[in-house]
Amino acid sequence: MTSRTPPAADASSRLASEPWYLPVADEIAIFEAAYAARLPVLLKGPTGCGKTRFVEHMAWRLYRDAATPRRDIEIPLITVACHEDLTATDLVGRHLLAGDATVWTDGPLTRAVRTGAIVYLDEIVEARKDTTVVIHSLTDHRRVLPIEKTGELLDAHPDFLLVISYNPGYQSVIKDLKPSTRQRFVSLEFDYPAVAVEARIIAHEAGVDAGLAERLAQIGAKVRNLREHGFEEGVSTRLLIYAAELVRGGVAPRRACEVAITRAVSDDALVQQAIADIVDVILP
Amino acid sequence: MSEAGAAAVFADHQRVLALFTQGIVGRHLHLKPFDEGRPAAAPSRISTDGESIRLPAQVADFPDARHNLGAYRIAILHQVGYLECGTFAFDLRVAGERMALPPAAPAPPASAILRRLRPAPRSAELERFFALWPRPALLRRVFATVEALRIDTVMRRRYPGARRDLDRVLAHALGRRPPAAGLRPLASLLEALVQYSLGRPRALLVAADRTGLADALLATAAPVEADGASVYDSAAAALAICAALAALTRPPARPGAHGAGTDEAPPDEPPGLPEAAPAAAAEVADGEAAPADDALDGAEVDFRGELAPDAVFRRLASGRAGTLEHDGAAESAVPEDGAGNDAPAGAARAPVRAAALPPTPRSFLYDEWDCHAGDYKRAWCRVYEHRLRGEDAGFIDDVRRRHAQVARQVRRRFDAIKPESLARMHGEREGEELELERAIQAAIDRRAGHAPDEHLYVRRQRGRREVAAAFLVDMSASTDFPIRDRAAEAAAAAAAAAAGEADPYVWGRFGAPPDPPPPAAKRRVIDIAKESLALMGDALVALGDAHAIYGFSGSGRDNVEFHIAKDFGDPAGMRTWTALAAIEPRRSTRMGPAIRHALAKLARQPERVRVLIIVSDGYPEDQDYGPDRRDIEYGIADTARALAEAERAGVAAFCITIDPAGHDYLRRMCAEDAYLVIDEVAALPAELAKVYRALTTGNGRGPRRRGRSALRFAHPGTGADAGPASGAAPGAPHESRR
Repeated sequence: MTSRTPPAADASSRLASEPWYLPVADEIAIFEAAYAARLPVLLKGPTGCGKTRFVEHMAWRLYRDAATPRRDIEIPLITVACHEDLTATDLVGRHLLAGDATVWTDGPLTRAVRTGAIVYLDEIVEARKDTTVVIHSLTDHRRVLPIEKTGELLDAHPDFLLVISYNPGYQSVIKDLKPSTRQRFVSLEFDYPAVAVEARIIAHEAGVDAGLAERLAQIGAKVRNLREHGFEEGVSTRLLIYAAELVRGGVAPRRACEVAITRAVSDDALVQQAIADIVDVILP
Repeated sequence: MSEAGAAAVFADHQRVLALFTQGIVGRHLHLKPFDEGRPAAAPSRISTDGESIRLPAQVADFPDARHNLGAYRIAILHQVGYLECGTFAFDLRVAGERMALPPAAPAPPASAILRRLRPAPRSAELERFFALWPRPALLRRVFATVEALRIDTVMRRRYPGARRDLDRVLAHALGRRPPAAGLRPLASLLEALVQYSLGRPRALLVAADRTGLADALLATAAPVEADGASVYDSAAAALAICAALAALTRPPARPGAHGAGTDEAPPDEPPGLPEAAPAAAAEVADGEAAPADDALDGAEVDFRGELAPDAVFRRLASGRAGTLEHDGAAESAVPEDGAGNDAPAGAARAPVRAAALPPTPRSFLYDEWDCHAGDYKRAWCRVYEHRLRGEDAGFIDDVRRRHAQVARQVRRRFDAIKPESLARMHGEREGEELELERAIQAAIDRRAGHAPDEHLYVRRQRGRREVAAAFLVDMSASTDFPIRDRAAEAAAAAAAAAAGEADPYVWGRFGAPPDPPPPAAKRRVIDIAKESLALMGDALVALGDAHAIYGFSGSGRDNVEFHIAKDFGDPAGMRTWTALAAIEPRRSTRMGPAIRHALAKLARQPERVRVLIIVSDGYPEDQDYGPDRRDIEYGIADTARALAEAERAGVAAFCITIDPAGHDYLRRMCAEDAYLVIDEVAALPAELAKVYRALTTGNGRGPRRRGRSALRFAHPGTGADAGPASGAAPGAPHESRR
């Protein structure tokens, strides 16, 4: 998500190199322990706070960094960005036509279950309700995936792990995770990092000097104080990195903040003005 | 003050500045203007009490409008600096550990003791610190200057983007200072200190100095400019400077005169002009006692305003005690501020008494319609969202038991709705049956070599009813009234109607005189409302409609309380029921912002039909709801406006009131078919169910149309009292009916 130099698509999914991640608390240890016990993990947190990057990093740690047979797996992490038209079929697989015959094709979830990859269902609540049902049998002691269309009852590969993410920020009744689903996961809660940590992240991701990164992180913290005024989540770490990248690309800092932060988080002219003022006094 | 065109007027920028301040501080601070034209008005200088910042009504110091606006920002940042940099967190005990404090004053005369007894425990630590010096006003003045220097330095470091504005403001302030050299020695040194804090180079000041003390004095102040300097560094510097200045002055002839520490000039005493007496060395040694304090009052620096530790202290103290200066209606204290976390630490916040409320509720701003001005007051009302928590687990069982019959009625009524809601969804990828036509089409496609459509199935979906309903319950103090039996009520209503011609307040607010104690008055209006909602909630869970139950109350525009018993996302469980049971009468009835907040919540619901049902017992009323509390038109107009906003937003709003006088104002607030006055409170559950069904079984065209026919209730006495034209446009100024 926040990868700066867009690498080739398969390079990122094959995790040839380490995705950079700066731990905020004990989330790495927790995730490793959860993986050791093969407990499914739920990542909760506002948009752009590093959930996806964290999963990429953990997949790299568990499949690439460690000396295990897992290194052999070609694609250790399968990410599915859920949307409202995503059905269980899309996850499990479907019959496709090949000539006059139909051929079964695995969906991303089935592929991961077979190969023992981590599957990451991003924003699971966006998907249709029936998707949550197929993951239930995978998340308890059974660890099986029933494929209705083919009648197959697929046992999960020992290395398989299910990770889902969920953003409680814009939940509504129908877009909320049911307790029956939620209580199958170890929940890791994410929030925007503290100023000092966020500054390091910005400096690393955008390749800017520590001074500017620090200023941007402060802007982030101050703007998030205005969360209740027309925007729900405050400015994401991702947006702050965008601003830094624009500055590195030669845009004047105030202008970069205007396009990447001020205009992005609110449409209310007065709020925008207030944010611009905050940016103005904090930037040198 | 010139260049009126370039002046920055506070009212124009209030909202942006308030947002700016909230962003910087992390919590809401009220920005209030002070009227410079009225010197008698309370504090007419920039100041903060920890909850608000007072600012001038306009700034016109610079020819450029942007620079004037910048001056506002600097003034705010400076005051915020006091709050953020721990000025008011000053603790005398800590100070005592860090520096040698002057010993407490020698025993003052008896009268002074008495005077001290009262203020001492009631004033801020800083004030007590000032009082330690024989001349508190001097220490205060020096400390204020040194501390302001520290704050400006921190500001410069923390907000580098503000440096240019700060420099401009400092230069402007410096330009208005008198030349230090022309003053008497003490005044000149103080002036040098001020000018140094405003950025005049030390060398210049030292060169102009005739006392020979300036260099050492300014060197003493310098440590506060260091990174990480604290309020104690300022205090130590101020003490050292005062000690140095004491060398100038002979010890006062009568040592007790200033010892009491309470006789300092009040801060807003008319500032005497700095005396431009020649700096004769002889004068130094002479007569400091009386005139010297005048010298202390030399012109202050406007943008830095005034340090008012006692104001902050009082604000904190009042927050701690939970006292309500407004009306004593509510016995429970609501936290007055949004987030007092970083308020001065000296006074730890005591636990809030009303345990039902979380410590830092979220707040939201809403416009309010001013019918007199014919315009909205922008961001006028602050709505605090509270989660209700309760412990009465027996409430719901009790309601279900006592109202079993009504519950059955309600359920039967709703059962009639249900069947509509099962839907056959065509063209699904998965489902119970194959849809023949589509299957044939797919077979044809496949033969023809096309990719067939996969949407071949029919699925029977337990259809969500596309309804979201919010119930908004009046939690005003008047709902505490016990319910009378019907006959007595009818008589009382008649009496009240008669009396009402004379006094609309009594008439509207309290339907019946509370004097005759009802025989078995155990249940109150609010209890009936709660029970009705519990029954509704129960029925709605069965029906599957998304619903929320809110209560509202508050006092004043800055403190509208919005209590959530059940929000849309909440499951209907024991927590919801106990929260509902925790709905209790509180304070006033500012209906407009509560409606607007409920609308904002409804707007986030995806359902097609959205309904807002308001249950109240009287007309909207609050302490500053309109220019005059007795003038109910303002509140009615604002509520009518809010209901009109609901209509625009596609929300069907409906008011149910149990105020027998309700017709009179409701017909001005709502459309005729959007309100109901029930004369018997006990009928509320059944009526509520009727209304709900009528509102939500509309058919695509919006519930209102269907409701028109369904909601022909018999309004007792509708024809009798012809009030003002019911068709009056909402928001149009009404003449007061008095």
